[in-house]
Amino acid sequence: MSDLEEPPQGVGVKRALARWNQELQRIRSPILRYGLSVACVVLALGLALALQHYQFRDVELPVLSLAIAIVTWYAGIGPSVLAILLSTTCFNYFFIEPVHSFAVSTKDLPYFFTFLAWAALVAWFSTVSRRIEEGLRLARDRLQTEVEHRAQRETEIRRLNRELAKRATDLDATNKDLESFAYSVSHDLRAPLRHLVAYSELLQKEASSSLDDKSRRYMQTILQSAKRMGNLIDDLLAFSRVGRAETQNNLVSLEQLVKEVVAELREETNGREVAWKIGALPVCYGDRSMLKLVLANLVSNAVKFTRMRARAEIEIGCVDEKNKHEVEMFVRDNGAGFDMQYVDKLFGVFQRLHLAEQFEGNGIGLATVQRIIHRHGGKVRAEGAVDQGATFYFSLPNAQDAVERIRHDHTGTHFGR
Amino acid sequence: MTTLGRILVVEDDPNDVELTLIALGEYHLANEVVVTRDGQQALDYLYCRGEFHTRSNENPAVMLLDLKLPRVDGLEVLQQIKTDESLKMIPVVVLTSSHEEKDKMRSYKFGVNAYVVKPVDFHEFVDAVKELGIFWAVVNEPPPGSMKKLP
Repeated sequence: MSDLEEPPQGVGVKRALARWNQELQRIRSPILRYGLSVACVVLALGLALALQHYQFRDVELPVLSLAIAIVTWYAGIGPSVLAILLSTTCFNYFFIEPVHSFAVSTKDLPYFFTFLAWAALVAWFSTVSRRIEEGLRLARDRLQTEVEHRAQRETEIRRLNRELAKRATDLDATNKDLESFAYSVSHDLRAPLRHLVAYSELLQKEASSSLDDKSRRYMQTILQSAKRMGNLIDDLLAFSRVGRAETQNNLVSLEQLVKEVVAELREETNGREVAWKIGALPVCYGDRSMLKLVLANLVSNAVKFTRMRARAEIEIGCVDEKNKHEVEMFVRDNGAGFDMQYVDKLFGVFQRLHLAEQFEGNGIGLATVQRIIHRHGGKVRAEGAVDQGATFYFSLPNAQDAVERIRHDHTGTHFGR
Repeated sequence: MTTLGRILVVEDDPNDVELTLIALGEYHLANEVVVTRDGQQALDYLYCRGEFHTRSNENPAVMLLDLKLPRVDGLEVLQQIKTDESLKMIPVVVLTSSHEEKDKMRSYKFGVNAYVVKPVDFHEFVDAVKELGIFWAVVNEPPPGSMKKLP
Protein backbone atom coordinates (compact mmCIF):
# COMPACT_ATOMS: atom_id res chain seq x y z
CA MET A 1 0.00 0.00 0.00
CA SER A 2 2.77 2.40 0.91
CA ASP A 3 4.27 2.46 -2.58
CA LEU A 4 0.89 3.64 -3.87
CA GLU A 5 0.98 6.63 -1.60
CA GLU A 6 4.55 7.60 -2.27
CA PRO A 7 5.06 9.13 -5.69
CA PRO A 8 6.91 6.72 -7.99
CA GLN A 9 10.56 7.67 -8.16
CA GLY A 10 10.54 7.71 -11.98
CA VAL A 11 8.08 10.59 -12.09
CA GLY A 12 10.53 13.12 -10.63
CA VAL A 13 13.26 12.11 -13.06
CA LYS A 14 10.82 12.20 -15.97
CA ARG A 15 9.73 15.68 -15.05
CA ALA A 16 13.33 16.88 -14.73
CA LEU A 17 14.12 15.38 -18.12
CA ALA A 18 11.06 16.98 -19.69
CA ARG A 19 12.02 20.36 -18.30
CA TRP A 20 15.61 19.96 -19.48
CA ASN A 21 14.34 18.85 -22.87
CA GLN A 22 12.13 21.93 -23.10
CA GLU A 23 14.83 24.30 -21.88
CA LEU A 24 17.25 23.04 -24.50
CA GLN A 25 14.68 23.35 -27.24
CA ARG A 26 14.17 26.97 -26.27
CA ILE A 27 17.78 27.88 -27.21
CA ARG A 28 17.52 30.63 -29.77
CA SER A 29 21.14 31.85 -30.18
CA PRO A 30 22.51 30.64 -33.58
CA ILE A 31 26.10 30.37 -32.24
CA LEU A 32 24.97 27.96 -29.54
CA ARG A 33 22.81 25.95 -31.95
CA TYR A 34 25.50 25.58 -34.63
CA GLY A 35 28.09 25.00 -31.89
CA LEU A 36 25.95 22.14 -30.58
CA SER A 37 25.86 20.74 -34.11
CA VAL A 38 29.66 20.80 -34.50
CA ALA A 39 30.27 19.49 -30.94
CA CYS A 40 27.86 16.59 -31.41
CA VAL A 41 29.44 15.51 -34.69
CA VAL A 42 32.98 15.79 -33.24
CA LEU A 43 31.95 13.79 -30.15
CA ALA A 44 30.26 11.13 -32.30
CA LEU A 45 33.30 10.97 -34.54
CA GLY A 46 35.60 10.53 -31.53
CA LEU A 47 33.36 7.81 -30.13
CA ALA A 48 33.21 6.03 -33.50
CA LEU A 49 37.00 6.21 -33.95
CA ALA A 50 37.53 4.91 -30.40
CA LEU A 51 35.11 2.03 -30.95
CA GLN A 52 36.83 1.24 -34.23
CA HIS A 53 40.16 1.30 -32.44
CA TYR A 54 38.89 -1.42 -30.07
CA GLN A 55 37.86 -3.54 -33.06
CA PHE A 56 34.08 -2.92 -32.86
CA ARG A 57 32.80 -3.06 -36.41
CA ASP A 58 30.34 -0.90 -38.28
CA VAL A 59 29.23 1.31 -35.34
CA GLU A 60 30.24 4.62 -36.94
CA LEU A 61 27.03 4.96 -38.95
CA PRO A 62 24.53 4.59 -36.02
CA VAL A 63 26.70 6.82 -33.81
CA LEU A 64 26.80 9.62 -36.41
CA SER A 65 23.07 9.20 -37.08
CA LEU A 66 22.45 9.58 -33.33
CA ALA A 67 24.46 12.81 -33.37
CA ILE A 68 22.41 14.11 -36.33
CA ALA A 69 19.16 13.16 -34.57
CA ILE A 70 20.18 14.93 -31.36
CA VAL A 71 21.20 18.07 -33.27
CA THR A 72 17.95 18.07 -35.26
CA TRP A 73 15.92 17.60 -32.12
CA TYR A 74 17.52 20.33 -30.10
CA ALA A 75 18.95 22.83 -32.59
CA GLY A 76 16.56 22.87 -35.55
CA ILE A 77 16.83 22.53 -39.28
CA GLY A 78 19.93 24.69 -40.06
CA PRO A 79 22.30 23.03 -37.56
CA SER A 80 20.95 19.61 -38.60
CA VAL A 81 21.90 20.26 -42.24
CA LEU A 82 25.36 21.29 -41.01
CA ALA A 83 25.57 18.09 -38.91
CA ILE A 84 24.58 15.97 -41.95
CA LEU A 85 27.23 17.63 -44.12
CA LEU A 86 29.91 17.34 -41.42
CA SER A 87 29.17 13.74 -40.55
CA THR A 88 28.96 12.78 -44.24
CA THR A 89 32.39 14.34 -44.76
CA CYS A 90 33.83 12.68 -41.67
CA PHE A 91 32.27 9.35 -42.59
CA ASN A 92 33.74 9.64 -46.03
CA TYR A 93 37.16 10.69 -44.73
CA PHE A 94 37.57 8.29 -41.82
CA PHE A 95 35.56 5.20 -42.59
CA ILE A 96 35.18 4.72 -46.34
CA GLU A 97 37.94 3.18 -48.40
CA PRO A 98 40.32 4.71 -49.31
CA VAL A 99 40.54 5.93 -45.71
CA HIS A 100 41.89 9.46 -45.02
CA SER A 101 40.80 10.79 -48.41
CA PHE A 102 37.59 12.37 -49.70
CA ALA A 103 37.51 10.07 -52.75
CA VAL A 104 34.54 7.71 -52.92
CA SER A 105 34.84 4.42 -54.78
CA THR A 106 31.85 3.41 -56.93
CA LYS A 107 31.11 0.34 -54.88
CA ASP A 108 30.73 2.44 -51.72
CA LEU A 109 28.36 4.93 -53.36
CA PRO A 110 25.06 3.10 -52.44
CA TYR A 111 26.26 2.77 -48.85
CA PHE A 112 27.13 6.44 -48.81
CA PHE A 113 23.79 7.55 -50.29
CA THR A 114 21.82 5.32 -47.95
CA PHE A 115 23.52 7.08 -45.02
CA LEU A 116 22.72 10.45 -46.54
CA ALA A 117 19.06 9.49 -47.10
CA TRP A 118 18.80 8.05 -43.60
CA ALA A 119 20.26 11.22 -42.11
CA ALA A 120 17.92 13.41 -44.19
CA LEU A 121 14.89 11.32 -43.11
CA VAL A 122 15.82 11.63 -39.44
CA ALA A 123 16.29 15.35 -39.87
CA TRP A 124 12.95 15.67 -41.64
CA PHE A 125 11.01 13.69 -39.00
CA SER A 126 12.58 15.67 -36.21
CA THR A 127 11.76 18.94 -37.90
CA VAL A 128 8.13 17.95 -38.41
CA SER A 129 7.87 16.82 -34.83
CA ARG A 130 9.51 20.02 -33.65
CA ARG A 131 7.15 22.10 -35.68
CA ILE A 132 4.13 20.30 -34.27
CA GLU A 133 5.47 20.66 -30.77
CA GLU A 134 6.17 24.32 -31.33
CA GLY A 135 2.61 24.80 -32.50
CA LEU A 136 1.26 22.97 -29.47
CA ARG A 137 3.42 25.01 -27.17
CA LEU A 138 2.24 28.23 -28.76
CA ALA A 139 -1.38 27.15 -28.45
CA ARG A 140 -0.84 26.21 -24.85
CA ASP A 141 0.78 29.57 -24.09
CA ARG A 142 -2.05 31.39 -25.81
CA LEU A 143 -4.56 29.40 -23.83
CA GLN A 144 -2.77 30.19 -20.64
CA THR A 145 -2.76 33.92 -21.39
CA GLU A 146 -6.41 33.66 -22.29
CA VAL A 147 -7.19 31.92 -19.01
CA GLU A 148 -5.24 34.56 -17.12
CA HIS A 149 -7.06 37.34 -18.96
CA ARG A 150 -10.36 35.73 -18.27
CA ALA A 151 -9.57 35.38 -14.59
CA GLN A 152 -8.56 39.04 -14.55
CA ARG A 153 -11.74 40.06 -16.28
CA GLU A 154 -13.77 37.97 -13.91
CA THR A 155 -12.15 39.66 -10.94
CA GLU A 156 -12.85 43.01 -12.57
CA ILE A 157 -16.48 42.08 -13.19
CA ARG A 158 -16.85 40.88 -9.65
CA ARG A 159 -15.37 44.14 -8.38
CA LEU A 160 -17.70 46.21 -10.58
CA ASN A 161 -20.62 44.11 -9.43
CA ARG A 162 -19.76 44.76 -5.83
CA GLU A 163 -19.48 48.46 -6.57
CA LEU A 164 -22.80 48.42 -8.36
CA ALA A 165 -24.47 46.60 -5.49
CA LYS A 166 -23.06 49.16 -3.09
CA ARG A 167 -24.25 52.01 -5.24
CA ALA A 168 -27.69 50.44 -5.48
CA THR A 169 -27.81 50.19 -1.69
CA ASP A 170 -26.68 53.80 -1.38
CA LEU A 171 -29.30 54.88 -3.88
CA ASP A 172 -31.91 52.91 -2.02
CA ALA A 173 -30.93 54.63 1.20
CA THR A 174 -31.00 58.04 -0.48
CA ASN A 175 -34.41 57.27 -1.91
CA LYS A 176 -35.67 56.23 1.51
CA ASP A 177 -34.27 59.45 2.99
CA LEU A 178 -35.98 61.43 0.28
CA GLU A 179 -39.21 59.61 0.85
CA SER A 180 -39.16 60.20 4.58
CA PHE A 181 -38.25 63.82 3.88
CA ALA A 182 -41.24 64.22 1.60
CA TYR A 183 -43.39 62.42 4.12
CA SER A 184 -42.23 64.68 6.87
CA VAL A 185 -42.85 67.76 4.73
CA SER A 186 -46.27 66.45 3.94
CA HIS A 187 -47.15 65.94 7.60
CA ASP A 188 -45.16 68.37 9.62
CA LEU A 189 -44.76 71.40 7.40
CA ARG A 190 -48.41 71.61 6.61
CA ALA A 191 -49.65 71.57 10.20
CA PRO A 192 -48.15 74.91 11.32
CA LEU A 193 -49.27 76.41 8.05
CA ARG A 194 -52.84 75.32 8.61
CA HIS A 195 -52.67 76.82 12.07
CA LEU A 196 -51.31 80.06 10.68
CA VAL A 197 -54.20 80.32 8.28
CA ALA A 198 -56.79 79.16 10.75
CA TYR A 199 -55.81 81.48 13.59
CA SER A 200 -55.43 84.44 11.23
CA GLU A 201 -58.93 83.83 10.01
CA LEU A 202 -60.22 83.43 13.52
CA LEU A 203 -58.50 86.66 14.46
CA GLN A 204 -59.96 88.37 11.42
CA LYS A 205 -63.40 87.13 12.36
CA GLU A 206 -63.16 88.06 16.04
CA ALA A 207 -61.38 91.40 15.72
CA SER A 208 -62.20 92.74 12.27
CA SER A 209 -64.47 95.40 13.75
CA SER A 210 -61.70 96.80 15.92
CA LEU A 211 -59.04 96.72 13.16
CA ASP A 212 -58.30 99.65 10.87
CA ASP A 213 -57.88 99.29 7.13
CA LYS A 214 -54.12 98.97 7.30
CA SER A 215 -54.26 96.16 9.88
CA ARG A 216 -56.95 94.40 7.87
CA ARG A 217 -54.69 94.56 4.81
CA TYR A 218 -51.83 93.07 6.86
CA MET A 219 -54.07 90.26 7.98
CA GLN A 220 -55.10 89.68 4.39
CA THR A 221 -51.48 89.50 3.30
CA ILE A 222 -50.62 87.01 6.03
CA LEU A 223 -53.50 84.83 4.89
CA GLN A 224 -52.63 85.08 1.22
CA SER A 225 -48.98 84.29 1.84
CA ALA A 226 -49.79 81.31 4.00
CA LYS A 227 -52.16 79.97 1.39
CA ARG A 228 -49.58 80.51 -1.28
CA MET A 229 -47.05 78.58 0.75
CA GLY A 230 -49.60 75.82 1.15
CA ASN A 231 -49.97 75.64 -2.61
CA LEU A 232 -46.20 75.59 -3.05
CA ILE A 233 -45.86 72.71 -0.63
CA ASP A 234 -48.65 70.82 -2.37
CA ASP A 235 -47.05 71.36 -5.77
CA LEU A 236 -43.64 70.36 -4.52
CA LEU A 237 -45.01 67.20 -2.98
CA ALA A 238 -46.91 66.40 -6.17
CA PHE A 239 -43.70 66.91 -8.11
CA SER A 240 -41.75 64.62 -5.82
CA ARG A 241 -44.53 62.03 -6.09
CA VAL A 242 -44.14 62.03 -9.87
CA GLY A 243 -40.56 60.89 -9.38
CA ARG A 244 -41.36 58.23 -6.83
CA ALA A 245 -44.67 56.77 -7.96
CA GLU A 246 -44.75 53.38 -9.62
CA THR A 247 -45.72 53.72 -13.24
CA GLN A 248 -48.21 51.50 -14.98
CA ASN A 249 -47.36 51.30 -18.62
CA ASN A 250 -49.90 50.66 -21.31
CA LEU A 251 -50.58 51.69 -24.85
CA VAL A 252 -51.99 55.20 -24.60
CA SER A 253 -53.71 57.16 -27.36
CA LEU A 254 -52.34 60.68 -27.14
CA GLU A 255 -55.16 61.91 -29.36
CA GLN A 256 -57.70 60.71 -26.81
CA LEU A 257 -55.70 62.32 -24.00
CA VAL A 258 -55.56 65.67 -25.81
CA LYS A 259 -59.33 65.58 -26.31
CA GLU A 260 -59.87 64.97 -22.61
CA VAL A 261 -57.43 67.68 -21.61
CA VAL A 262 -58.98 70.26 -23.94
CA ALA A 263 -62.45 69.37 -22.69
CA GLU A 264 -61.33 69.83 -19.10
CA LEU A 265 -59.96 73.29 -19.93
CA ARG A 266 -63.26 74.43 -21.39
CA GLU A 267 -64.09 76.37 -18.26
CA GLU A 268 -60.94 78.46 -18.59
CA THR A 269 -61.40 79.09 -22.30
CA ASN A 270 -65.04 80.10 -21.91
CA GLY A 271 -65.64 83.58 -23.32
CA ARG A 272 -62.33 83.54 -25.16
CA GLU A 273 -61.68 82.93 -28.80
CA VAL A 274 -59.35 79.99 -29.06
CA ALA A 275 -58.53 78.43 -32.41
CA TRP A 276 -57.61 74.82 -31.68
CA LYS A 277 -55.66 72.96 -34.30
CA ILE A 278 -55.16 69.36 -33.28
CA GLY A 279 -53.25 67.13 -35.68
CA ALA A 280 -53.03 63.37 -35.80
CA LEU A 281 -51.23 61.99 -32.73
CA PRO A 282 -49.70 58.58 -32.27
CA VAL A 283 -50.36 55.83 -29.74
CA CYS A 284 -47.57 55.73 -27.19
CA TYR A 285 -46.46 53.34 -24.52
CA GLY A 286 -46.48 54.80 -21.04
CA ASP A 287 -48.35 55.66 -17.88
CA ARG A 288 -51.70 57.14 -18.86
CA SER A 289 -52.23 59.48 -15.91
CA MET A 290 -48.67 60.79 -16.09
CA LEU A 291 -48.84 61.44 -19.83
CA LYS A 292 -52.14 63.18 -19.27
CA LEU A 293 -50.46 65.37 -16.68
CA VAL A 294 -47.83 66.27 -19.31
CA LEU A 295 -50.46 67.31 -21.83
CA ALA A 296 -52.57 69.06 -19.21
CA ASN A 297 -49.56 71.14 -18.11
CA LEU A 298 -48.51 72.06 -21.64
CA VAL A 299 -51.99 72.83 -22.93
CA SER A 300 -53.07 74.81 -19.86
CA ASN A 301 -49.82 76.78 -20.16
CA ALA A 302 -50.71 77.55 -23.75
CA VAL A 303 -54.17 78.69 -22.67
CA LYS A 304 -52.72 80.77 -19.82
CA PHE A 305 -50.03 82.52 -21.83
CA THR A 306 -52.35 83.45 -24.72
CA ARG A 307 -54.77 85.21 -22.38
CA MET A 308 -53.94 88.67 -23.74
CA ARG A 309 -54.52 87.67 -27.36
CA ALA A 310 -57.83 88.57 -28.97
CA ARG A 311 -57.63 85.30 -30.83
CA ALA A 312 -55.53 82.55 -29.28
CA GLU A 313 -54.09 79.96 -31.59
CA ILE A 314 -53.07 76.68 -30.04
CA GLU A 315 -51.72 73.88 -32.18
CA ILE A 316 -51.04 70.36 -30.97
CA GLY A 317 -49.40 67.92 -33.32
CA CYS A 318 -46.75 65.43 -34.12
CA VAL A 319 -43.43 66.27 -35.77
CA ASP A 320 -42.73 64.35 -38.98
CA GLU A 321 -40.36 61.62 -38.05
CA LYS A 322 -36.82 61.28 -39.21
CA ASN A 323 -35.90 59.07 -36.29
CA LYS A 324 -37.90 55.86 -36.32
CA HIS A 325 -37.23 55.03 -32.67
CA GLU A 326 -39.06 57.95 -31.16
CA VAL A 327 -41.99 60.20 -31.89
CA GLU A 328 -42.01 63.90 -31.10
CA MET A 329 -45.11 65.86 -30.23
CA PHE A 330 -45.48 69.61 -29.86
CA VAL A 331 -47.81 72.18 -28.33
CA ARG A 332 -47.57 75.59 -30.01
CA ASP A 333 -49.21 78.86 -29.02
CA ASN A 334 -49.17 82.48 -30.14
CA GLY A 335 -48.92 83.80 -26.58
CA ALA A 336 -46.39 85.71 -24.51
CA GLY A 337 -43.50 83.46 -25.53
CA PHE A 338 -40.11 83.72 -23.85
CA ASP A 339 -36.57 84.85 -24.46
CA MET A 340 -34.51 81.95 -25.86
CA GLN A 341 -31.67 83.21 -23.65
CA TYR A 342 -33.47 81.67 -20.67
CA VAL A 343 -34.51 78.43 -22.35
CA ASP A 344 -32.32 76.39 -19.95
CA LYS A 345 -34.23 77.72 -16.96
CA LEU A 346 -37.59 76.86 -18.40
CA PHE A 347 -37.77 73.29 -17.13
CA GLY A 348 -36.23 73.94 -13.70
CA VAL A 349 -38.20 73.57 -10.48
CA PHE A 350 -39.72 76.85 -9.28
CA GLN A 351 -38.24 78.70 -12.25
CA ARG A 352 -40.49 81.38 -13.65
CA LEU A 353 -39.91 83.74 -16.53
CA HIS A 354 -42.89 85.98 -15.83
CA LEU A 355 -44.08 87.97 -12.84
CA ALA A 356 -46.75 86.41 -10.68
CA GLU A 357 -48.97 89.44 -11.39
CA GLN A 358 -48.79 88.74 -15.11
CA PHE A 359 -49.30 85.01 -15.07
CA GLU A 360 -50.08 82.99 -11.97
CA GLY A 361 -48.31 79.72 -11.23
CA ASN A 362 -45.54 78.21 -9.16
CA GLY A 363 -43.08 77.25 -11.87
CA ILE A 364 -43.48 73.57 -11.28
CA GLY A 365 -45.53 72.54 -14.32
CA LEU A 366 -42.73 72.29 -16.85
CA ALA A 367 -40.43 70.65 -14.29
CA THR A 368 -43.10 68.01 -13.83
CA VAL A 369 -43.40 67.63 -17.61
CA GLN A 370 -39.67 67.12 -17.93
CA ARG A 371 -39.57 64.63 -15.10
CA ILE A 372 -42.36 62.51 -16.52
CA ILE A 373 -40.95 62.54 -20.04
CA HIS A 374 -37.48 61.59 -18.75
CA ARG A 375 -38.98 58.74 -16.81
CA HIS A 376 -40.52 57.54 -20.05
CA GLY A 377 -37.15 57.67 -21.79
CA GLY A 378 -37.98 60.77 -23.84
CA LYS A 379 -36.72 64.33 -24.12
CA VAL A 380 -38.22 67.82 -23.83
CA ARG A 381 -37.25 71.07 -25.52
CA ALA A 382 -38.76 74.46 -26.21
CA GLU A 383 -38.57 77.18 -28.79
CA GLY A 384 -39.94 80.66 -28.55
CA ALA A 385 -39.43 84.40 -28.74
CA VAL A 386 -40.76 87.23 -26.60
CA ASP A 387 -44.32 88.07 -27.68
CA GLN A 388 -44.05 85.62 -30.59
CA GLY A 389 -45.45 82.55 -28.89
CA ALA A 390 -43.77 79.37 -27.76
CA THR A 391 -43.53 75.77 -28.89
CA PHE A 392 -42.90 72.93 -26.45
CA TYR A 393 -41.72 69.61 -27.79
CA PHE A 394 -41.63 66.26 -26.04
CA SER A 395 -40.50 62.98 -27.46
CA LEU A 396 -41.42 59.45 -26.43
CA PRO A 397 -39.96 56.13 -27.52
CA ASN A 398 -41.81 54.51 -30.39
CA ALA A 399 -44.61 52.34 -28.97
CA GLN A 400 -43.51 49.36 -31.06
CA ASP A 401 -39.93 49.69 -29.80
CA ALA A 402 -41.03 50.09 -26.22
CA VAL A 403 -43.25 47.02 -26.33
CA GLU A 404 -40.44 45.00 -27.94
CA ARG A 405 -38.01 46.20 -25.31
CA ILE A 406 -40.37 45.19 -22.51
CA ARG A 407 -40.73 41.77 -24.08
CA HIS A 408 -36.97 41.36 -24.17
CA ASP A 409 -36.09 42.49 -20.69
CA HIS A 410 -38.79 41.81 -18.19
CA THR A 411 -38.49 45.12 -16.41
CA GLY A 412 -42.25 45.61 -16.71
CA THR A 413 -43.34 48.52 -14.62
CA HIS A 414 -39.85 49.97 -14.28
CA PHE A 415 -39.57 50.81 -17.93
CA GLY A 416 -38.16 54.19 -18.70
CA ARG A 417 -36.50 54.86 -15.40
CA MET B 1 -69.66 63.24 32.50
CA THR B 2 -66.63 64.26 30.53
CA THR B 3 -65.89 60.67 29.60
CA LEU B 4 -69.10 60.26 27.68
CA GLY B 5 -68.45 61.31 24.13
CA ARG B 6 -70.07 60.41 20.86
CA ILE B 7 -67.08 61.66 18.97
CA LEU B 8 -63.61 60.45 19.89
CA VAL B 9 -60.90 62.77 18.59
CA VAL B 10 -57.34 61.45 18.60
CA GLU B 11 -55.04 64.39 17.95
CA ASP B 12 -51.67 65.30 19.42
CA ASP B 13 -51.42 68.90 18.22
CA PRO B 14 -53.15 71.29 20.71
CA ASN B 15 -53.89 73.79 17.92
CA ASP B 16 -55.57 71.15 15.85
CA VAL B 17 -57.55 70.05 18.88
CA GLU B 18 -58.75 73.59 19.42
CA LEU B 19 -59.58 74.11 15.75
CA THR B 20 -61.44 70.81 15.59
CA LEU B 21 -63.43 71.74 18.67
CA ILE B 22 -64.22 75.17 17.21
CA ALA B 23 -65.38 73.53 14.00
CA LEU B 24 -67.56 71.02 15.85
CA GLY B 25 -68.77 73.79 18.13
CA GLU B 26 -70.30 75.57 15.13
CA TYR B 27 -72.81 72.73 15.02
CA HIS B 28 -73.03 72.37 18.80
CA LEU B 29 -71.28 69.03 18.75
CA ALA B 30 -68.34 70.11 20.88
CA ASN B 31 -69.81 68.92 24.14
CA GLU B 32 -70.05 65.40 22.81
CA VAL B 33 -66.37 65.14 22.07
CA VAL B 34 -63.68 63.24 23.94
CA VAL B 35 -60.14 64.22 23.05
CA THR B 36 -57.23 61.84 23.48
CA ARG B 37 -53.75 63.04 22.74
CA ASP B 38 -52.01 59.92 21.49
CA GLY B 39 -52.67 56.38 20.29
CA GLN B 40 -52.09 54.82 23.67
CA GLN B 41 -54.61 57.11 25.36
CA ALA B 42 -57.12 56.44 22.59
CA LEU B 43 -56.82 52.69 23.09
CA ASP B 44 -57.11 53.18 26.86
CA TYR B 45 -60.35 55.05 26.26
CA LEU B 46 -61.72 52.40 23.90
CA TYR B 47 -60.83 49.56 26.30
CA CYS B 48 -62.03 51.54 29.37
CA ARG B 49 -58.73 51.13 31.15
CA GLY B 50 -56.25 53.40 32.90
CA GLU B 51 -57.69 56.88 33.44
CA PHE B 52 -60.89 55.82 31.64
CA HIS B 53 -61.65 52.71 33.72
CA THR B 54 -64.70 54.35 35.23
CA ARG B 55 -66.47 55.25 32.01
CA SER B 56 -69.51 53.33 30.76
CA ASN B 57 -68.31 51.03 28.04
CA GLU B 58 -70.33 52.12 25.00
CA ASN B 59 -68.37 52.73 21.84
CA PRO B 60 -68.17 56.24 20.35
CA ALA B 61 -70.38 56.94 17.32
CA VAL B 62 -67.31 57.96 15.33
CA MET B 63 -63.60 58.32 15.81
CA LEU B 64 -61.54 61.09 14.16
CA LEU B 65 -58.01 59.73 14.03
CA ASP B 66 -54.78 61.56 13.19
CA LEU B 67 -52.05 59.37 11.73
CA LYS B 68 -48.91 60.89 13.17
CA LEU B 69 -49.16 60.42 16.90
CA PRO B 70 -46.70 59.95 19.75
CA ARG B 71 -46.25 56.49 21.30
CA VAL B 72 -48.79 54.45 19.31
CA ASP B 73 -49.38 55.95 15.87
CA GLY B 74 -52.69 56.25 14.07
CA LEU B 75 -52.24 53.30 11.74
CA GLU B 76 -51.45 51.01 14.68
CA VAL B 77 -54.55 52.22 16.50
CA LEU B 78 -56.60 51.67 13.36
CA GLN B 79 -55.25 48.15 12.92
CA GLN B 80 -55.93 47.36 16.57
CA ILE B 81 -59.53 48.58 16.33
CA LYS B 82 -60.31 46.82 13.07
CA THR B 83 -58.98 43.48 14.30
CA ASP B 84 -60.86 43.60 17.60
CA GLU B 85 -64.33 42.00 17.54
CA SER B 86 -65.78 44.48 20.06
CA LEU B 87 -64.30 47.62 18.39
CA LYS B 88 -64.27 46.86 14.67
CA MET B 89 -67.75 48.32 14.12
CA ILE B 90 -66.71 51.80 15.27
CA PRO B 91 -66.63 54.06 12.20
CA VAL B 92 -63.10 55.44 11.96
CA VAL B 93 -62.33 58.58 9.97
CA VAL B 94 -58.67 59.31 9.39
CA LEU B 95 -58.19 63.09 9.60
CA THR B 96 -54.63 63.89 8.64
CA SER B 97 -52.29 66.30 6.89
CA SER B 98 -50.94 63.50 4.73
CA HIS B 99 -51.72 63.32 1.04
CA GLU B 100 -49.38 60.36 0.75
CA GLU B 101 -50.68 57.48 -1.30
CA LYS B 102 -48.92 55.06 1.04
CA ASP B 103 -50.92 56.31 4.02
CA LYS B 104 -54.17 56.14 2.10
CA MET B 105 -53.47 52.63 0.86
CA ARG B 106 -52.57 51.34 4.29
CA SER B 107 -55.52 53.04 5.98
CA TYR B 108 -57.98 51.53 3.53
CA LYS B 109 -56.32 48.13 3.79
CA PHE B 110 -56.85 48.21 7.55
CA GLY B 111 -60.51 49.03 6.90
CA VAL B 112 -60.83 52.76 7.54
CA ASN B 113 -64.32 54.14 6.89
CA ALA B 114 -63.19 57.48 5.51
CA TYR B 115 -59.95 59.32 4.81
CA VAL B 116 -59.98 63.09 4.98
CA VAL B 117 -56.99 65.35 4.33
CA LYS B 118 -57.06 68.44 6.51
CA PRO B 119 -57.45 71.37 4.12
CA VAL B 120 -55.02 74.27 4.53
CA ASP B 121 -57.86 76.75 4.18
CA PHE B 122 -59.55 77.24 7.54
CA HIS B 123 -63.06 77.56 6.12
CA GLU B 124 -62.62 74.34 4.25
CA PHE B 125 -61.25 72.72 7.39
CA VAL B 126 -64.22 73.89 9.43
CA ASP B 127 -66.60 72.69 6.76
CA ALA B 128 -64.87 69.33 6.51
CA VAL B 129 -64.87 68.69 10.26
CA LYS B 130 -68.41 69.99 10.64
CA GLU B 131 -69.69 67.76 7.88
CA LEU B 132 -67.84 64.80 9.29
CA GLY B 133 -69.34 65.45 12.70
CA ILE B 134 -72.84 65.93 11.32
CA PHE B 135 -72.69 62.91 9.09
CA TRP B 136 -71.16 60.39 11.46
CA ALA B 137 -72.57 61.61 14.77
CA VAL B 138 -76.02 62.75 13.62
CA VAL B 139 -77.05 61.50 10.17
CA ASN B 140 -75.42 58.10 10.26
CA GLU B 141 -77.09 55.38 12.29
CA PRO B 142 -74.26 54.06 14.45
CA PRO B 143 -73.85 50.33 15.06
CA PRO B 144 -75.75 48.94 18.08
CA GLY B 145 -73.82 49.39 21.30
CA SER B 146 -72.70 52.93 20.49
CA MET B 147 -73.58 55.96 22.53
CA LYS B 148 -76.97 57.36 21.69
CA LYS B 149 -77.46 61.01 20.91
CA LEU B 150 -78.06 62.88 24.09
CA PRO B 151 -81.48 64.41 24.31
